[in-house]
Amino acid sequence: MPAEAVRMEGIVKRFPGVVANAGIDFSLHWGEVHGLLGENGAGKTVLMSILYGLYQPNQGRIFFRGKETKIRSPHVAIQLGIGMVHQHFMLVPRLTVLENMAVGWEPRIGPLLDRRAMRRRIESLISDYGLEVDPDARVEELSVGEQQRVEILKALYRGAEVLILDEPTAVLVEQEVEALFSTVRALKEQGKAVVFITHKLHEALEICDRITVLRRGKNVGTLPASEATEERLAEMMVGREVVFTVTPEPVSSQGQVLLSVEGLQARDDRGVPAVRGVSFEVYDHEILGIAGVQGNGQKELVEAIAGLRQPTGGRVRVGERELTGQSPSKLAAQGLVHIPEDRHLRGLILTFSVEENAVLGRHRQPRFAVGPWAQRRRAIRIYAQELVERFSVSVPSLSAPVRTLSGGNQQRLILARELSRDPQVIVAVQPTRGLDVGGMEFVWEQFLEARRNGAGILLVSMDLDEVMMLADRIAVMYQGEIVAVVRRGEATKRELGLLMLRGKGAVD
Amino acid sequence: MEILSFNLFISALRLATPIALVALGETYSERAGVINVGVEGMALAGALTTAVVAYFTGWPWLALIAAIGVGALLGALHAVWSVYLRADHVVSGAAINLLVLGFALFLTRVIWGWRGTSPSAPTMNAWILVGVGLFLIGLSQVYIFRTPWGLRLRVVGEHPRAADTAGINVYRTRLAYTVLNGALCGLAGAFLFNNLGRFTDGMVGGRGFIGIAAMVVGNYRPLPALAAAYLFGFVDALQMRLQDYIPSQFSLMLPYFLTVIVLAGFLGKAQVPKALGKPYVKEQG
Ligand SMILES: Nc1ncnc2c1ncn2[C@@H]1O[C@H](COP(=O)(O)OP(=O)(O)OP(=O)(O)O)[C@@H](O)[C@H]1O
Ligand SMILES: [Mg+2]
Repeated sequence: MPAEAVRMEGIVKRFPGVVANAGIDFSLHWGEVHGLLGENGAGKTVLMSILYGLYQPNQGRIFFRGKETKIRSPHVAIQLGIGMVHQHFMLVPRLTVLENMAVGWEPRIGPLLDRRAMRRRIESLISDYGLEVDPDARVEELSVGEQQRVEILKALYRGAEVLILDEPTAVLVEQEVEALFSTVRALKEQGKAVVFITHKLHEALEICDRITVLRRGKNVGTLPASEATEERLAEMMVGREVVFTVTPEPVSSQGQVLLSVEGLQARDDRGVPAVRGVSFEVYDHEILGIAGVQGNGQKELVEAIAGLRQPTGGRVRVGERELTGQSPSKLAAQGLVHIPEDRHLRGLILTFSVEENAVLGRHRQPRFAVGPWAQRRRAIRIYAQELVERFSVSVPSLSAPVRTLSGGNQQRLILARELSRDPQVIVAVQPTRGLDVGGMEFVWEQFLEARRNGAGILLVSMDLDEVMMLADRIAVMYQGEIVAVVRRGEATKRELGLLMLRGKGAVD
Repeated sequence: MEILSFNLFISALRLATPIALVALGETYSERAGVINVGVEGMALAGALTTAVVAYFTGWPWLALIAAIGVGALLGALHAVWSVYLRADHVVSGAAINLLVLGFALFLTRVIWGWRGTSPSAPTMNAWILVGVGLFLIGLSQVYIFRTPWGLRLRVVGEHPRAADTAGINVYRTRLAYTVLNGALCGLAGAFLFNNLGRFTDGMVGGRGFIGIAAMVVGNYRPLPALAAAYLFGFVDALQMRLQDYIPSQFSLMLPYFLTVIVLAGFLGKAQVPKALGKPYVKEQG
């Protein structure tokens, strides 16, 4: 019988309007990787936030190393040896990696921060766990994957024996996922306990020893990964069978160009050219997928199309109209909607309520406003209610701030708002990030329905499987250029992967 | 008469001192996330306290300590309003400016009866305070960027939640540095009195606000802020000499004019602490 690191008994956590945890038992052993699965809003993040001391449970007990423990704050949790890497990082962008890690636990020489000693500590952690990162780099210069490594390093430096990872792979590309897995395995070999929250069932099966599934705030079962299958897990999560793939039915395009991009150029935030003359067309009844490793200009390309970044050259046309560098509201008037990659920065106003966010961008329409000053609160409320129901967004209440929604439900709210505009052109980046299996299936179906109704969709995703399944044509982006365009079924996953990694040279 | 004399550079240093002290104080409080536009009033309170205590006791050192104490108290008041009661930082600071100005008008008339000026009172050598100021600025440069406490200060202003999880008390940190800001403003006020030897209720004359400008130009760093303060002091000194040549209405305007120009150029470039002016609310539950 392996030793128990943590046992949580009968955890209940209520928020105004929701019961996030309705009496959950959970146990974690030393030297195991424990997967935590469940639909959006099932209570995974809340349960782990309770273990990390961010929230206090209304009922229930926590045992740590066999002793009943009150975890009053994250600081207490850290001192006990519990670390957590959140869905949204807790790093100071302007400070260096070293400073971010040291704060609160600074080595000193006399009155000064001992940077030398700190650097030595970091370097030994890096070599123990394979978490490559430059201690003197400023966090804002790092990629998301690197920032995640800093978070893990920070937790380990602070002495974490129990490490909670909340959807760590949602922000990573495939190669980074491999690296993360080997770090997790190294942690396990050291006898540490890891909680791994994910929506990707194959990942859970690959890396975890045991898996616990939550549904609506309850533990529906804990089982060894060896006894689990994707189908069984999905059924436990959702309470019904889930399909993991959809098949786009053949539809014929009328050959009408809905979105055309010609020789588009744009620079990234540092002023370096990131999009170097990209041209393509999206036709009616078509999904054009853009595949590529993160950081090859996709972000800038989409922002330049969506009116969020001024192009430095080239043209963007929506339907008949040239709309290069026009504002998002002008584009929206032409039937283009944008589902952004960063839901906090571009998609939502976190401190505003669900209903306000539901009409964001349309809040001036006569339907929702009387002149420039007054809102039609009732109309907004009714509309928001409708959206929330149709897209099954689970919300505490319509007037609750969006900040209190679970990550996946925030994503659903954006999708609900944008897709319900009857768009002609959809520009979507990572639309299913953070969604549970049911949610993914739902979004895919929504996209296929829009396609059936004649819309043109530009789908940018790091998830090659998703692109290959949905897209009629796939354009591979590499170093700011489109290096190949293939029709569905014309290239294997391996060929596409090579193109993504090495550009044109790959096919010779 | 030679305008650009050695003396000009020396008197610029004197004129720069109160600006630099306010800039240093504001650097601390804004790094912790607290905007304090009450610096004007806090400096005036420092000058008034110095005048009153020196006038009645004849001890300039006691007057200095009292001025620092009164500045610190006003800093604490601002912190209670803005950090604990979550009032808008600018409103709270402006209220302090009005409060002090009103009180100064009242007190000077009660004590001295004149229209807002005191008779001269015993002073200390203002150069001592210039020296103290320079020392504190040099020390702060090291403190903020090289010590653990300086690191914590910076994190509190950038990402209070991260500071909180690291066991740093965000509220107490903000209180402490706002108090320090008030104390430094009190010191600036004490300098102004000792420099002039008498009190008038217009004696701060915008130097508090110019101090904030110097902090912005110095990008929240003590030494560069000192350089900026020196520039303002220099223009002030120059303007006094130019009064022989151009109408004083124009020359008096120069430092303020410069402030507006320089601020317009630097405001967008300064790396403003992310959580500046935002109340910190601990996660509920
Ligand atoms: N601070 C809060 N105030 C009010 N309600 C909250 C708060 N935090 C979470 N909730 C609610 O608790 C429920 C569970 O949320 P939680 O974040 O644990 O979900 P999750 O399982 O992590 O989902 P996801 O996969 O989407 O991240 C949700 O309905 C959410 O809206
Ligand atoms: Mg979550």
